[in-house]
Amino acid sequence: MTAKQEISEKGIGIMEEYIVEMEHINKSFAGVKVLKDVKFNLKSGEVMALLGENGAGKSTLMKILSGVYTRDSGSLRIFGKEQGDLDTKKARALGVAIIHQELNMCRHLTVAENIFLGREEKKGATLNNKDMAEKTKEVLDSLKIDLDPNEIVGNLSVSKQQMVEIAKALSIHAKVLVMDEPTSALTAKEINELFRIINQLKEEGCGIVYISHRLEELSHVADRVTVLRDGEFVMNGEFKDYTMDQLISFMVGREITEKFPRVKCPKGKKIFEVKNLNAGKLVRNINLELYEGEIVGIAGLMGAGRTETTRAIFGIDPKDSGQILVDGKEVKINKPMDAIKAGIVLAPEDRKKDGLCTKLSVRDNLALPNLDLLCNKIGKVNRKKEKELVDKAVQELNIKLASPELNAESLSGGNQQKVVVGKWLARNSRVVIFDEPTRGVDVGAKVEIYNLMNELKKQGVGVLFVSSELPEVMGISDRIIVMCDGRITGELSPEEATEDRILQYATQFEAKI
Amino acid sequence: MNEKKSWLGRALSARGVQSVVTAALGFVLLFIIFCILSPQFRSGNNIQNLFRQIAPTMIIGIGQGFVLITGNIDLSIGSVVGMACMTAGTLMSNGANPWLACLVALAMSLAIGLVNGVLVAKVGLPSFIATLGTMTLARGLAQLVNNNHNTNFIGNTAQGFRDTLYYDSFLGIYSTVWIAIILWVILWFLLSKTRTGRHIYAVGSNLDAAKLSGVNAFHTILITYMVSAFCSCLCGLVLLASAGMGTMDAGTTYEMYAVAACVIGGISTLGGTGILAGVIPGAGIWGILQNGLQFVGAPVALRNIIIGIIVIAAVMLDVVARTGRKKPKAKTK
Ligand SMILES: Nc1ncnc2c1ncn2[C@@H]1O[C@H](COP(=O)(O)OP(=O)(O)OP(=O)(O)O)[C@@H](O)[C@H]1O
Ligand SMILES: [Mg+2]
Repeated sequence: MTAKQEISEKGIGIMEEYIVEMEHINKSFAGVKVLKDVKFNLKSGEVMALLGENGAGKSTLMKILSGVYTRDSGSLRIFGKEQGDLDTKKARALGVAIIHQELNMCRHLTVAENIFLGREEKKGATLNNKDMAEKTKEVLDSLKIDLDPNEIVGNLSVSKQQMVEIAKALSIHAKVLVMDEPTSALTAKEINELFRIINQLKEEGCGIVYISHRLEELSHVADRVTVLRDGEFVMNGEFKDYTMDQLISFMVGREITEKFPRVKCPKGKKIFEVKNLNAGKLVRNINLELYEGEIVGIAGLMGAGRTETTRAIFGIDPKDSGQILVDGKEVKINKPMDAIKAGIVLAPEDRKKDGLCTKLSVRDNLALPNLDLLCNKIGKVNRKKEKELVDKAVQELNIKLASPELNAESLSGGNQQKVVVGKWLARNSRVVIFDEPTRGVDVGAKVEIYNLMNELKKQGVGVLFVSSELPEVMGISDRIIVMCDGRITGELSPEEATEDRILQYATQFEAKI
Repeated sequence: MNEKKSWLGRALSARGVQSVVTAALGFVLLFIIFCILSPQFRSGNNIQNLFRQIAPTMIIGIGQGFVLITGNIDLSIGSVVGMACMTAGTLMSNGANPWLACLVALAMSLAIGLVNGVLVAKVGLPSFIATLGTMTLARGLAQLVNNNHNTNFIGNTAQGFRDTLYYDSFLGIYSTVWIAIILWVILWFLLSKTRTGRHIYAVGSNLDAAKLSGVNAFHTILITYMVSAFCSCLCGLVLLASAGMGTMDAGTTYEMYAVAACVIGGISTLGGTGILAGVIPGAGIWGILQNGLQFVGAPVALRNIIIGIIVIAAVMLDVVARTGRKKPKAKTK
């Protein structure tokens, strides 16, 4: 007894600086082990980058820390105190806040209502709305977000909603703050603001866990790193002691030689053309051409109208005017089915909302747009063909899953993205449009998606892809189109493209008259 | 794109106020039309009666509203109405103290509410299925309590009860209407001013987000079903007072009247939106159609057809008005 006590006291003496210590953490879902004997620690006043491939278990580990999931076994110490099973309320009371990977907002409630959800302030029996609105305003101001606390969250853009999510976590004055891919939906300006806040919090002694697949961000914030692979602890250490390539090989377990593989194809005939397309305020007079064997990247800031353009082309949003030509023939596209019939497919941006039926199995999701190919005359699905199609997609994209019968929502973010892309593999399409295909996708999988695009390109399919990550736009495209304010403001070849030039075009706002 | 809105603009754009205003205008319009068309309708007597007819629908509409805002539904309402009516009626006709009889009916109703809440929020059954089950169950109890017979007349033993719930009036307004008003005020307070109310909206808007924020979803959903059962019981007692006897099929299909009152008043069946004020014009439109069409001489069949069409049209109008004005998708790129 005493000996044990001594050890633990000594332990505290040495480990004093750790505000979070997790050891031998195990966690299974439905019999599948997703965390195996994982250890993790965090000091106050530091940013710990938590890295790993999609499905490595980063979010799961952090959900255990923040009380969303309970661990199967292992120890969890917060501020030196051993913790039993936590729930979200207890974790919050301990000063642990988490910004979840997926947006978790009540769309119908206001900004202030969301920020104070679950810990509303009361005056007697009634809610003290005025107080909460004022405190919300304070947090928003400290984040330099220009928002009305009484605005309904559903009316905000995704990036604003993400900022509200961040404000929510900050408003509890957390001492341990977990950020699970906070930047995947933010604009460059907001990202800078976030980094400023992170540094400020660090100075105040807050310990921050930072999860991101945008590795280039890490150099701005990370002090230490922890790497997980397939649910196992790989390493931790000082960030500056390792090169990015080393970290990547820790994450994926092999070297990635080419982050942006490029294949050369001869430019063939014109397969796709958009003429004078107009649709609302964010799609104005768009003209673009796509040739066989080329990948065209569309760059721009958030709100530049890129997603709107893809949606208008695909027939989701109504067009005001304009023509679309496939193989030189005009096609009328009023609804997505028209586009699919014309050989155009779209892998949309918001995978949870537009890309997947999250409650259906992966198999159902992959088969859904291909049912016309899989069904016989009376509409019965040919199971064998379906299985072939599913297996092929899972294999080609290296989708990590226990079984294709599992719900799509049970996959990790990156693997969900692969399913969105995989849906279209079976179709012999002429044009494939990807909207932010690599958002939330790990380095290795990114390369797989690039390879997929290259494969399509080799087959003579025109690939159009929207991306906010400049390195990938420059690394993969054969031609770069830059949009701003709903117009095309520039076109660059990869040789001429630099980040500065793209940004210059991307900020060519119209002079306000 | 953060334009500052005027006070009025904010008030109108707040949760569901628009739909309430639309529904209220619809009610006024129908009121005027029927007044013009029928002298009997516009008689003072009928106007008083009209509001007394609207009150029970409003009472159950309030209960259903609570449940709908969490994104669930309560199909057991009509049967609980019948069960409360039969239970209290049986006891009263056998000479029991009327108020004690009411308490027994209330206890049974709340028990059904408890079962609903547990099945939906704890066991995780879809609310449609869970309450479909309790709907049948409660109807069975309604038949069981008096051995599969309607009750005897209660006027001799419980006339005071009948007066208090139905016949008395104060300031020219029948007690039934007062009951509905008081109930509404209390529950409006609960829904819009308290933490519980906030959690009800949050659960309906995004269950996961609410849970992750530490909201006790089980308690929240349970409370809504208890409120709904309470309202149903009250409605059953009003029916008993009005008819003077308990009938086994009392309240049949009332759950749908309640849904109609809510939906017309802007409480979406998808959860998260709508305000309790909507139930007032919602129930009003429902009641005025029943009452008014009768006075302009429309046969029952035609009345039902017209009401059905108007309910669909009202909701469609609301949806079109809302989506038509919606800005292009907030998510931009
Ligand atoms: N609720 C759940 N039910 C079943 N399986 C789950 C659940 N949550 C996560 N998993 C599985 O656990 C594994 C780890 O998932 P997790 O979300 O922690 O990965 P991640 O490292 O955060 O990945 P990403 O970078 O894609 O977000 C995955 O294989 C995933 O499919
Ligand atoms: Mg994750």
